[in-house]
Amino acid sequence: MGEDFDRILDECIDRINRGDDPADCLSDYPACSEKLRPLLQSVHDVQKTYTFAPSADAKRAARQKFQAALDKQRQATPVGSFFKAISRPAVWATVAVVVLAIVGALVIRPLFNPQTLISSPDGNFAFLISDEPNDIGDFESLNITISRVELRAAGSVKRLEFTPETRTVDLTRLQGELSQEIWRGDVPPGQYSHVFIYVNEASGKLESTGQTINVKLPSGRLQLSMSFDVTADAVTSFTFDITVVERGNSGEYNLQPQIGESGAREGQKPLE
Amino acid sequence: MNIGNRENASAINEYERQLSGLYEEYYDKIARYVYVHIGDREEAEDIAGEVFLKALKSLKSYREQGVPMHGWLFRIAHNLTVDHLRKMNKRKTLEVAEIDSLALPGNDNPADTAEKNIEFERVVDAMNQLTVEQRQVVNLRFFGELTSKEVSGILGKSDGAVREMQRAAIEKLRVIVGVGK
Repeated sequence: MGEDFDRILDECIDRINRGDDPADCLSDYPACSEKLRPLLQSVHDVQKTYTFAPSADAKRAARQKFQAALDKQRQATPVGSFFKAISRPAVWATVAVVVLAIVGALVIRPLFNPQTLISSPDGNFAFLISDEPNDIGDFESLNITISRVELRAAGSVKRLEFTPETRTVDLTRLQGELSQEIWRGDVPPGQYSHVFIYVNEASGKLESTGQTINVKLPSGRLQLSMSFDVTADAVTSFTFDITVVERGNSGEYNLQPQIGESGAREGQKPLE
Repeated sequence: MNIGNRENASAINEYERQLSGLYEEYYDKIARYVYVHIGDREEAEDIAGEVFLKALKSLKSYREQGVPMHGWLFRIAHNLTVDHLRKMNKRKTLEVAEIDSLALPGNDNPADTAEKNIEFERVVDAMNQLTVEQRQVVNLRFFGELTSKEVSGILGKSDGAVREMQRAAIEKLRVIVGVGK
């Protein structure tokens, strides 16, 4: 039983770390609950002793410092290469090529590198997820995990990206008028034309059978092409509406963006 | 830039993106991991921030060899914590820190506060009776919230060995904390 018990205990600790109630784990393993209970109690006691959540201010300040260092590092590399290259007399014959490469590195590449945005509760941009009901009724739950969101400025190659503060959302809880804010922060004012959501994982539990299935997302991302403006003096709330659709009667489902229900607007009702 | 350099630059860009994406999720966990060892909230927050800066500077040396990037962050956190304790001339090995009782979430009832302090000291004492490796496993699992597979990558042990150490550590904690109750 030793190795099996170690695995069960390990699974229960994973579940506690994810916020599950230890009692659920005990009821899933009644045969060893007597042995398991005091150990899970000890885990609880130790975790409780060191309860500590860093302050939001400290986290934000550290985030800004990190972001500044990241920006500095991104800018420093191509410039360093430039001076290194032109300081060598032997490379004069390839000066034109080098100059082109440096121009590319200095001018073009930074334009293609997305700028990472910083979250802020007072930011001028809120990003929300919603779900247009199509085949969502087939699911008891449908969780999608979003790794990042990318915005593209209209008429330029400028790209901005952010990591959602809430990464996993259950689409069954966001039907119709409901939506959930997953990020808020500062976005440079201007006109934007594309929004991309990069999805790491999408899995749902079917209402009819209780079976958990992976929902397809062929390219790993969802894209919306639509124009919207962000201003400095108002909060723009952008809702990205996602819908799930069964492919024929195959029992397989796809996620799709729903452009008709998406967009920058006011009056969204966040999930309570 | 030759092909090797170009590939390297592209890898660094990808690592920068990964590191940036880990910030929101792992800052708190790393701060908690550090806090368990040094017992000072502000210092723990500072060191957590420093972990990301240090990781950013060292991205060129990062290679994913069985340890995912967040595991690597905990290694950096471990080293910075050890350095911090050495500077403070407190300890040369990572033990579990005493925390000022003022930092404990208390209430106005002196009896309750006293009881909490006794309970707290009992847990700290129990944690410090674990072996160094058991303590590492407990800290990374309970406060860093890493999986046992991730912990095994950091400590260079098998998954099974980590699970066994974890169970032995919890049993020991239960006995020591339970006796005092």
